[in-house]
Amino acid sequence: MSRGLNRLLDAVVRIDVREITFEDGAQRFTGGIGSGVIISADGLILTNAHVASPRAVEISVTLASLEQVSAKLVGWDHWTDLAVIRLDLDEVRRRKLNFTSADFGDSAALFPGETVYAVGTPYGLARTVTRGIISNNNRPFEDPRGVNGFETGSFNTWLQTDAAINPGNSGGPLVTDDGKVIGINSRAYIGAENLGFAIPAEIARRVSAELVLHGKITRSYLGLVPGALRDLEKFYSLAANTGLLVNGVDPDSPAARAGLRPGDVVLTLNGQKLDGRFPEQLPPIQNSIASLPVGSTVRLGVKRGGQSLELSAVTEKLESQVGDEWAFEKWGVSVRKVSRTFARENRLADATGVIVLGVQPGYPAAAAGLVRGDIITKIGTAPIAELDTLKKIYTTYEEKPEAQLVEAQRNRRISLYVIKP
Amino acid sequence: MSIFRRIVLFIAAVATVASHAAPLVDLFNERLKSVVAVEFFVQDEIERHPVSVQGTVVDANGTIILPGAAIMPGVPPGQLKDFKVYRPNNTEPSNAIYLGQDALTGWHFIRVEEKLRSQLVPIGHYEAVTADPVISEELWGIGLRNKEEDFMPYFLSARVALVTKLPQKTAILASEVAGPGLPVFDSGGRLVGLAQTAFGQNFLLFSRNQNATPILLVNVEESSVVLLANEVLPNLGRIPQSVTGRPMAWFGAYGLQPIDPEVAKLLKLENQSGVVLSDLMEGSPATSAGLKERDIVLALDGQPFPRLKPDRVVAGYFGQELLRHHPGDTIVLTISRDGARQDVKVVLGDEPKLVREADRHYFERLGFTAREFLTTDGIANRIKPAEQQGVIVQFVKPGSAVGAAGLRPDDWVREIDGEEMKTYEQAVMKLKQIEADKSRVEFVLLVSRGGETSVLRAKLN
Repeated sequence: MSRGLNRLLDAVVRIDVREITFEDGAQRFTGGIGSGVIISADGLILTNAHVASPRAVEISVTLASLEQVSAKLVGWDHWTDLAVIRLDLDEVRRRKLNFTSADFGDSAALFPGETVYAVGTPYGLARTVTRGIISNNNRPFEDPRGVNGFETGSFNTWLQTDAAINPGNSGGPLVTDDGKVIGINSRAYIGAENLGFAIPAEIARRVSAELVLHGKITRSYLGLVPGALRDLEKFYSLAANTGLLVNGVDPDSPAARAGLRPGDVVLTLNGQKLDGRFPEQLPPIQNSIASLPVGSTVRLGVKRGGQSLELSAVTEKLESQVGDEWAFEKWGVSVRKVSRTFARENRLADATGVIVLGVQPGYPAAAAGLVRGDIITKIGTAPIAELDTLKKIYTTYEEKPEAQLVEAQRNRRISLYVIKP
Repeated sequence: MSIFRRIVLFIAAVATVASHAAPLVDLFNERLKSVVAVEFFVQDEIERHPVSVQGTVVDANGTIILPGAAIMPGVPPGQLKDFKVYRPNNTEPSNAIYLGQDALTGWHFIRVEEKLRSQLVPIGHYEAVTADPVISEELWGIGLRNKEEDFMPYFLSARVALVTKLPQKTAILASEVAGPGLPVFDSGGRLVGLAQTAFGQNFLLFSRNQNATPILLVNVEESSVVLLANEVLPNLGRIPQSVTGRPMAWFGAYGLQPIDPEVAKLLKLENQSGVVLSDLMEGSPATSAGLKERDIVLALDGQPFPRLKPDRVVAGYFGQELLRHHPGDTIVLTISRDGARQDVKVVLGDEPKLVREADRHYFERLGFTAREFLTTDGIANRIKPAEQQGVIVQFVKPGSAVGAAGLRPDDWVREIDGEEMKTYEQAVMKLKQIEADKSRVEFVLLVSRGGETSVLRAKLN
């Protein structure tokens, strides 16, 4: 074993997270185990967004020395499935604990067949090292619900490895034999043999730096859903390796307002030529759009049939379809705010309302007939435009419980319900 | 006493006993003339789906009604083939033709050929009860075995468990009383009603490695649900005027959600029921009359909606009452809007084309069926009437080129080879051209599914 790999082992930690969930009509706590790698001398740890998220209420890190230290979330980014947490340095100093930090390697230089090691805590088995090779260094992998219900994978490709990756490996490093971190292990096909995926270090380095600075990543949104052109060039009378096929345009998005239509081919973006021939090429293009400042004007050179068009769109801030969540325990209902993205995807008139995540049997919401998936749009005469509106109504109810008339939609059909004490 | 006299006495005695016990079996045998087994098949693009159901004879012209569930909604009459009618205990088929489905009752009507008619007795031939059956009363009916057993008839009987409105008056019996679609009688042989498609019953399924999984079982051979005679007899003459079942009145609200007693109480609508309107089709009679989403309909032509159990039955009630009307009729709805009551006059329209009536064309080489875009597709896809164009994919042949390209039934095809499709005719012409062009290696579709659009490329070989 190389000295580098030996040193790396001292930088890999086990992460125990207690987090809040709002699934079943109530506030509940669940526990999870993941892995992480210390990337700085001041105790920053890189892990997965599906390990440490804003839902975490308690994060506890087990160092290589087997000592446990508490940590706090610095920021997360579900799109790349990355999160940064920070060790409680006061505690580390007080208890005179030591740790090492790992170095990033060059993920762009990886080649298929190169030997790599995955280090982490599969099924709670801390400090497990598995060995494999890079199976593919450019795997596109988009998942609209991949990170605890949040979207992931639209802006980066992944490293694929056959090093054994099991639940609990999440957030641990994928390293070369000199112990350099070239990826963050994040997912595997459950039930398949040795199909694991890691976020390339190149992405991890950039995202973690921004999370440390701002606690979040702000991206631009255009509303253009690309599709791979493959060999449709002939159909669209294009030269090979030119253009990005517009598979879909989100309704009411900047792209839609700019007049972009499905079936259009975007040849240039702000003058830059695009090449979206293969699925592997789409995430970097998506990322180049997302990296534009929010509110910036994008010039699109578009080919529509025989026509050439110049369209311009103003980007908006990218939002997840997952809104804020809360539980109203006396009603026995937990909800998630309808986000603009959710409203758009589900063709709702606007973002008014909260989605029922769960109801507790026997409690007023369940007794009224509300079920998971219903969208509560109004209580009494008050439209629920914000989660806070509902919280206020609930507080009033807690002080003076009275029957509430609830308007909700199920499959866009409006029904009335009564929540009563 | 002579032997002769003894014999006479004996016969007399037997006769008295028989006159007490024989009628049920006689009644049973007599009433077999009103029931038949019916076989047909649904011919879709590539397969035949045989169907076997039971029916009741309703008139001297050989008209037979089949339960609504006998044919899946959306199946075009043109795909219904080869209706064969069998009498109980008989494997000799007689041909029949399909007359259509009645919108109000849901019954399908067929008519059997001349030769069998003299052997049939319409159900109306028998006296019907004048009062609803009472709880605990014993009723009986007929069941039919399947073809392998020559449609052998058998006797079923059960007691009335309850009588309720769903919204039609219906008796639920303690156990199965007749085959679905077949008549049910009282002890005197009077017609009590028609057995409906059975309701599902909840059971728990236990298995070696799984605890108690709730399952719903539906008995497809026998039913304990009986639509009462006074709901059946007035409608036996509703033979569809056309195979499509038209004319059909159209209101144009697709969301009719019942209000429950708690909601009614809070809205100060005690002892009343109502339906909340939503999903109103733009340009429909409902919107033309000024009705809006969230209006609560409380009465139709001055008749307040009764409280029915379960609550959702009231939506069915409203729907049925509307179907009793004809296109062009004016109805008056009493609604509650923002807490205030008002009356709204609605002129009912003519039901827009239904899926089963829609024009469609199967492109065998391309491997799919295109059908015209209908009002209901507009509702499903949230498309305003002005934006409704293109065609809907009705069927995709498994393993076909378009199937491999990712086309699925219900997809909305908006462009073909980059050309926007305004009408069904335009799309069919375009697809016919593509199909006829043997040198073609591929074609491109722009399709929408659940609000998401994609460009699909199908390779032709």
